[in-house]
Amino acid sequence: MNRGYYWLVLALSIPAFIWLVPTIWMVSLSFQPNDVLARTTSTTALGLIPIPFTAENYGALFSFGQTPWWFLNSVIVSLGMTLGVLAVSTTAGYALARLDFPFKATIATICLIGLMVPEQAVFIPLYTMFADFGWHNSYHALILPRMAVPIGVFLMMQFFKAIPKDIEEAARLDGVGWLKIFWYVMLPLARPAMMTLAILTFLYAWNDYLWPLVSAQQREYFTITLGLASIQSNFAQSEGLGRVMASGVIASLPVVLLFLIFQRYVVQAMTVGGSKG
Amino acid sequence: MANTDPDAGAARAGRKSYLSQSQAAFLLLLPFLAVYALFLVYPFFRGFWISLHDWNLLAVAFNPDAKEFVGLRNYERVMWGRNIEWAAFASPLLQGVGLLGMVAAAVLRYRGRISRATAVALATGSALLFLLPGFHPGEDGRWYDRRFWPTVGNTVLFVGLTVPGVTLTALILAAAMNRETRAMSVLRTLFFLSQVLSVTVVTLIWQIMFSPRQGLIANITEAFGGTPINWLTDEQFAMTAIVIATIWWSLGIAMILFLAGLQDISKDLYEAAALDNATGARAFWHITLPNLKRTITLVVILQIILHFQVFGQSHLMTQGGPNDTTQVLVRYIYQTGFRDSELGRASAMAVFLFVIMGGFSVLQFLVGREKE
Repeated sequence: MNRGYYWLVLALSIPAFIWLVPTIWMVSLSFQPNDVLARTTSTTALGLIPIPFTAENYGALFSFGQTPWWFLNSVIVSLGMTLGVLAVSTTAGYALARLDFPFKATIATICLIGLMVPEQAVFIPLYTMFADFGWHNSYHALILPRMAVPIGVFLMMQFFKAIPKDIEEAARLDGVGWLKIFWYVMLPLARPAMMTLAILTFLYAWNDYLWPLVSAQQREYFTITLGLASIQSNFAQSEGLGRVMASGVIASLPVVLLFLIFQRYVVQAMTVGGSKG
Repeated sequence: MANTDPDAGAARAGRKSYLSQSQAAFLLLLPFLAVYALFLVYPFFRGFWISLHDWNLLAVAFNPDAKEFVGLRNYERVMWGRNIEWAAFASPLLQGVGLLGMVAAAVLRYRGRISRATAVALATGSALLFLLPGFHPGEDGRWYDRRFWPTVGNTVLFVGLTVPGVTLTALILAAAMNRETRAMSVLRTLFFLSQVLSVTVVTLIWQIMFSPRQGLIANITEAFGGTPINWLTDEQFAMTAIVIATIWWSLGIAMILFLAGLQDISKDLYEAAALDNATGARAFWHITLPNLKRTITLVVILQIILHFQVFGQSHLMTQGGPNDTTQVLVRYIYQTGFRDSELGRASAMAVFLFVIMGGFSVLQFLVGREKE
């Protein structure tokens, strides 16, 4: 490595630090007492270092307020959606990629055209449908619409297409049925793709705002993302700045941890998600 | 190759395969097709259906017959007005840019500098930019919906500021960080981190960052003896503020896509260029940019689709204000539907949104399929 490289790293560290500042600030404010924050947010180093320090904002979240409940809702909805999307996407993706059947090309086209339909263009009719069914304010109302988005099918189909044919043919020659091949041969091979899809779906579910805003009107069914939106408009007066920031940190913790642990998959998932809908 | 047919093999093996290939396929497809038909295809068409009705959310909820078929009236009420005229210079700046874009598309294509899909995209976009702002109410005329087109304009402005901002920043950072070293990998992680946060966390952070009383930006301004700006409540700065927050939030994907594109450029090209003394900025200009053209086009289209659907930043940071300067299309749809209960009009706007997004999706598909 030459000198130019070290200068480059040094030069990039400055924007990288600036990029990180808003996040550091949120974390730092969450560890400062509310009465101090009501006077000034820049006690130490413009507020970037939490002195005076307190952890009571986090304690307060768990002793009263609905944050723990919203967090739990988010966990249930995100895991439910992830499992649901994995189930329908792996099966449909396998059928479209590896099996022959009548109208295959037509069905594949119909499925993939759905990639063009943005959530924002269908949330009104979805709202009226779910209202007709009496389904709003429930977990399945929050989960089901995303299961219909064909991005997962597309992803799994691409993956299954790349697996060599002879693996399946060997099993066929031994007389193994298609469903067993799917379950015992193909699914184990598909783990990396399933991981990517699972992370993509989990991130989407955790961070989704518009559909929960429309569908969940009762606070008991808020996800953490929605709940955080509901307390941030009047943060300074009612809840205390430090406590709202602590909610923000708690709301971000799962996705940030997911990102730091499975960075490669997260980046891959967001690239696929970003580039295909 | 008849003797390697897997179905025949299974039959020869003498064991019964319970399902034929088609039966297995339909069984595996069924769960997805069911949710797809019910929760995407049907709502999609139902959206059109609603847009053709005078459909009050509350009235129809109590009495399903309370809707009235009005044909295309909702589209007229949203997009049209009384005595609407068209002129080539109603909005000189936008139309001028549109005209220039059309000329540029023709010239660049003629010289072979851009691909056909890119040329068509540029030309179509420019033509729309030339045509649409030309409509304006004539004498005694007015738009039926005074807020719709300004809202579309705000959305376009938001996209027009965010997309170049993200693209340029991401491109420069990606080019600088395109090395497989430990330090670069840490730096990439830092830049990407904000991307995984939810929109409500992003708006929470930036609302307070921009706060004139408690904000970090105000704190810094005051430390240098300046007067803090009311970012979110000043008409001059509100849009800039949500654009800054959005660039901070969504830089990561663009950066990662550029890094992936950079990986595909052969190292030999840079080595050859280095022999000609082209390194650093010159190598970036003469090698990186030309070889990254297709990736850049894709990233730009993708971001247009993504950011045209902006909602949370406007809804939570500025509530569309001050004075509607940050009101965006999806928020207007949401308000028309759920605050004003006018689902028919809201659906007409949603169809408008879909048509625009659909156009860009087709474009994305065409460019994506193109050979380098």
